[in-house]
Amino acid sequence: MDSDCLSLLPAVCLVLADPKQSPPDDTSLEKLLDWFKEMHSQSNEQVLLQHQPCFKEFISSVCTSKTTDPAILSFTLKLTGLLACTKQGFHLLEVGGLLVCVFEREAWFVCDLWEDASVRSGWLQGLLNMLKHRQALDFICGNGLLKVILQLQNDGSLFVACLANQLLVHILNFLTSSNMTNGSDAVESRESSLSPDWVSVSSEIMNGVVEALSSDDHPRVLQGLRLLSSVPSQCGEPIRSTLWKDVLVPLEVLINRGSESLTQPLMTVLQAAVRTPLLGQSEYKVEELLEAMLGSGNKNESFQCAALTIKLEKCPEGLKRKAIDIVLLPLQCVSAQSQDTEKMNLALKEQLSQKASCISHLMQSLSSLEELAYTKYQFEGISIHSVTSSVVLLLRICSGHYPSSLIQNNASTHLIGCCKVQRCGLDTLGALSVYEENMNIRKDIFGVLLDYLKSPDSHATVLKKTYQATVSWIAVCSPFPDLLQFISHDLFPVLKKRMCDLRWEVRDSTLEFITQLTVALNGNSGFIEALHTSGMVSILLSSLADSEGYVRASAVAVVGEAVDSFLHHTVLVSKSNLLEEALKQMMTILSQDTEGFPRRAVVKAFTSWLKGSHLVTAVHPFLSSVLSLGCNDFDWEVKMHTLELAEVLMEKTLTCCPYAVQNFGSSEKELMQALSKLKEFGLFDLLFNSLFDCDRPVCAKGRWEF
Amino acid sequence: MKLYCLSGHPTLPCNVLKFKSTTIMLDCGLDTTAALSFLPLPLVHSPRLSKLPGWVSKDGAINLEKELKECSGRVFVDSQPEFCLPEKELLDLSTIDVILISNYHCMMALPYITEHTGFTGTVYATEPTLQIGRLLMEELVTFMERVPKAHAASCWKNKDIQRLLPSPLKDAADVWSWRTCYSMSEVNSALSKVQLVGYSQKVELFGAVLVTPLSSGYSLGSSNWIIQSHYEKVSYVSGSSLLTTHPQPMEQGSLKNSDVLILTGLTQIPTANPDGMLGEFCSNLSMTIRGGGNVLVPCYSSGVIYDLLECLYQFMDSANLGSTPFYFISPVANSSLEFSQIFAEWLCQNKQSKVYLPEPPFPHAELIQTNKLKHYPSIHGDFSSEFRQPCVVFTGHPSLRFGDVVHFMELWGKSGLNTIIFTEPDFSYLDALAPYQPLAMKCVYCPIDTRLNFHQVSKLLKDIQPLHVVCPEPYTQPPPAQAHRSDLMLELQPPPMAYRRCSVLGLPFRRRYERIQLLPELAKSLVPSEIKPGVSVATVSAVLQSKDNKHVLQPVPKPAPVPPSKKRKRVMEEPPEVLNPKPLLSGAVPLEPFLATLHKNGIMEVKVEETADGHILHLQAEDVLIQLEEDGTHIICDNNEPLRTALRDLVLRFLQKL
Repeated sequence: MDSDCLSLLPAVCLVLADPKQSPPDDTSLEKLLDWFKEMHSQSNEQVLLQHQPCFKEFISSVCTSKTTDPAILSFTLKLTGLLACTKQGFHLLEVGGLLVCVFEREAWFVCDLWEDASVRSGWLQGLLNMLKHRQALDFICGNGLLKVILQLQNDGSLFVACLANQLLVHILNFLTSSNMTNGSDAVESRESSLSPDWVSVSSEIMNGVVEALSSDDHPRVLQGLRLLSSVPSQCGEPIRSTLWKDVLVPLEVLINRGSESLTQPLMTVLQAAVRTPLLGQSEYKVEELLEAMLGSGNKNESFQCAALTIKLEKCPEGLKRKAIDIVLLPLQCVSAQSQDTEKMNLALKEQLSQKASCISHLMQSLSSLEELAYTKYQFEGISIHSVTSSVVLLLRICSGHYPSSLIQNNASTHLIGCCKVQRCGLDTLGALSVYEENMNIRKDIFGVLLDYLKSPDSHATVLKKTYQATVSWIAVCSPFPDLLQFISHDLFPVLKKRMCDLRWEVRDSTLEFITQLTVALNGNSGFIEALHTSGMVSILLSSLADSEGYVRASAVAVVGEAVDSFLHHTVLVSKSNLLEEALKQMMTILSQDTEGFPRRAVVKAFTSWLKGSHLVTAVHPFLSSVLSLGCNDFDWEVKMHTLELAEVLMEKTLTCCPYAVQNFGSSEKELMQALSKLKEFGLFDLLFNSLFDCDRPVCAKGRWEF
Repeated sequence: MKLYCLSGHPTLPCNVLKFKSTTIMLDCGLDTTAALSFLPLPLVHSPRLSKLPGWVSKDGAINLEKELKECSGRVFVDSQPEFCLPEKELLDLSTIDVILISNYHCMMALPYITEHTGFTGTVYATEPTLQIGRLLMEELVTFMERVPKAHAASCWKNKDIQRLLPSPLKDAADVWSWRTCYSMSEVNSALSKVQLVGYSQKVELFGAVLVTPLSSGYSLGSSNWIIQSHYEKVSYVSGSSLLTTHPQPMEQGSLKNSDVLILTGLTQIPTANPDGMLGEFCSNLSMTIRGGGNVLVPCYSSGVIYDLLECLYQFMDSANLGSTPFYFISPVANSSLEFSQIFAEWLCQNKQSKVYLPEPPFPHAELIQTNKLKHYPSIHGDFSSEFRQPCVVFTGHPSLRFGDVVHFMELWGKSGLNTIIFTEPDFSYLDALAPYQPLAMKCVYCPIDTRLNFHQVSKLLKDIQPLHVVCPEPYTQPPPAQAHRSDLMLELQPPPMAYRRCSVLGLPFRRRYERIQLLPELAKSLVPSEIKPGVSVATVSAVLQSKDNKHVLQPVPKPAPVPPSKKRKRVMEEPPEVLNPKPLLSGAVPLEPFLATLHKNGIMEVKVEETADGHILHLQAEDVLIQLEEDGTHIICDNNEPLRTALRDLVLRFLQKL
């Protein structure tokens, strides 16, 4: 195919070079470039350039044309860079002076084209493509292109400025790369010093960065910081440390100035530095700079810095502690009792009295706390107990129920009914369940979670988060005897009501929650008994007829789990007809439901039952129907699940004959019995049918099972 | 301008505004919470209620066994329930010119005001307000008259006895002003005084003020009122809603630029969001039905019930309630359901457009057609034979003291499977349930009040910016149960003027202008002269005629030429003598040029003294003083009239004459 395409190439080049036939958009040109790149990576580039003289002709004609389209010129620049990325290609293009003709904009016949951002971007991309060998760097430096690149760093077009930045980082990286050490003038140790030839190049770029950082022009500072943030991770020594030393002073100035809009880029720079050996060396002041960024915690940006500091992978412990102190301030301030008023700083109080900053600070507090909890961070000097109580109190404020001893501030007015903070707070509360110290306030925690579940004003997404937090807490509190009391007396009545909620999302997440709860407390006989004696099961069964498909699917899953748990509990089995009722309704869903989700859930429930040991005989009479209905379903996922069910069935049936694998011959009779049993189930029909299924995954799975 | 507050109830207002010689009553709400002190009126003989022990004071000194009965530790009056009326002593009700009604819940005291008080005015209301108000009154009368009580209890009201009674009877205020329900003939007579108005229709009262109803978005035909003269505007906001329910949305723009805004009828349950409550209602209902129980919804026969039925219509399939019967029992059930369908022009846009399809605007028509919703005038008759359980029953009265609901409470109260769901916010559900204790049935409180909450109202006020706000006292402080919720009160600058029952407020603005009409022929005769750029003045000589609070300047009739008759004419017929008015002077007398003029006229010796207001010129030879001040010139010249005249003429030279 490629050869066919290559034969068309001269004609394509002619079309492209013809100014009268400009392409409708540059997508096709980009696709062409992609193809060239692929060709290039697959074969020797000499073949391409030597055997396709049309390229050189095309490049030359574009550069000398007086009516070149900017898109074509941009394409040509990128193409030339691509073709010149090997030494041979570079040489072939340089010989005829073509390279200079392309990248020296003075050589172009139409100078105005430089004004077009796509041309400037193409020029930079071309150089970036080309910069794979030393000659290319020689070419850039020898022709004074470095200055242009530095200028383009501040280009009005964001794409161009970014590309220029990328190219400069690439050059710096290149100076310390192995490409530079292979030549005759390779430096002895690239770790320690650069060849004198290249010192001027690196220092020109570094000076550019220092100038940008010292500039009063905000966009220029931003570009400087962007370049700086890429250097530590991408460039080796000595560039990294030299540049860092050079920028240290302007960087300190910027940090001390405390401009809010620079917080994020400054933190990115420091974040990049933290990941390198620069962190450990005091002369590079990385830790000091981070500390300066945090300030004393009374500025708006301090909280953002603190939140970012906590996220650092290799954050020095002292710094992390300071950041934690700062980031928790808004949470402590909002939930402070009136006697603590004096301790709070006024600036923070002021910020918390404004809705937007109040919510954003609290979200930072909560999400940082959640992050720390995930790593089970051991707080020092802060009691996790009081932090958790603050989260509980904040959640109470958000629902409008809080003690009047709380300080009267505007924060509470902003927070009542604020779903954002509620969701974030519930996530954090769930994460805090990892700390054993919190077990003695579990009553409070379950109390607030229950309030959220009960509240008629809880948004569906808030309820979902409440369920998630409740599952986390129930999982860790399962050894406590009062948990069952809470579940059967407090939780179940609320769940019953939520299963009848107007919003299907709520009904769905309630059913999902009960499934998770049943799984989490599977071995707990008290829970299973409570589930089956509290009247929950009848509501679960009636949810199988819900009007919403997703809810029916979740109901199938939870009934599946309930049946499973129920059969572990032999005392209950005789008293209930749950299994019969569940099987009856599930078969109705599988055969009649108009939506795929519930049908898939039914097949999955059967698979899970079959995997367990209790239900094998009870579900046997239904298996052939399930397999045949699943096999003929319109939904390919139902078929996939049916094949999974078949797989489990095969495993179960064939392992029943103990010699199936080890001693094939002697147990032929048992094997035949097992196979005929499978045949009775209609398993072979299913497998044969799936081989010819129109859906590829079904076919593949069927083939694999055979 | 004064406001007389005859009711302190924030959602059942009754205020009287005296404005520009008119006396306007704003709403006349009836506080029915007094009925909670009475025993329920059972439709069928209730052995439980009839066996309740009578009340005797602990020391046995007071024996009111026949009047008061004890039930679960509380004492109830065994008599026809009574209601607390608006204050009648603060103002002579016969002086009221008009009554403006804002919605059908706020007119229930109308017969008490218009009948037997000498009231001769007009009542203004929209058509749905009148018709549905009539239904609610009819229902109330039927509830009472269906179960007549042989005797009325009044001994307990005696002050010396009342103070010895247990709470809450002991603390009930103004019990002597409580009255039993009115009769149907009084209702008919009161409603015959109603004149119908449409939204934005301007009604002129005695030429003095214009009143205009505006849609308030709360219920069918509910309105806010604008009361305005040419230079003053008072807005009356009562029971408004910004939620999208069945009525036409609230009109806010016309409330702008008010001098005074009287704000009543905010939500009674500011912490309960109606959407959340509706969800709560549906899930509790569904849960009870799934559990095999019945649901009782004590409610008014109009209003939120339409929204409840609409919500259930959408919810019933998803909640597997398709086969559960819904019953609506009220003497006016049929009329209420039908009326709601015919007032299309008063409905929200969405429902209005359905009428053109044509489809009934409310889906309860379909529920009735498919037999899912059945309505009966009472539990007697067809209902008893068609009644099927488990079911959902909507019936009144929400106070649980009268109406068919009493029967269902007696019937279902003993089973824990059943649930009573309170949706009306007017009564404390615990008080309502008190005479039914001990009760096994589940109770759920889902008050649905769609009226403005504090957040919405502060936004609204920011938008319409009235100069002064007048509101009931409870709105100026957080609810007593949530003293720290400063977001549940009105915080305004300047602070709102609060009123309570029997307050008389002087509204804080003075009337400064009155519009006078100039007849064209008079206007033609004016000769304006410009006194400074853009300001011209003219003198007018005319006759001011004031009639029906309208003032007109008419040309002075010319004296008819005296006929050459020797007959003596009656003096009365002679037109008033018109004197040519003296010209009006304007301008200032400049000092230096005036001195020069004096000099020119031979007055040489002038001593000028500067004063705070101008100058005093002492003409020493003539012994004359001339005071030149900013707003006047005085010539003090004794016994020399020619000189005074000469000096006056010199002064006049510097002034302009009109």
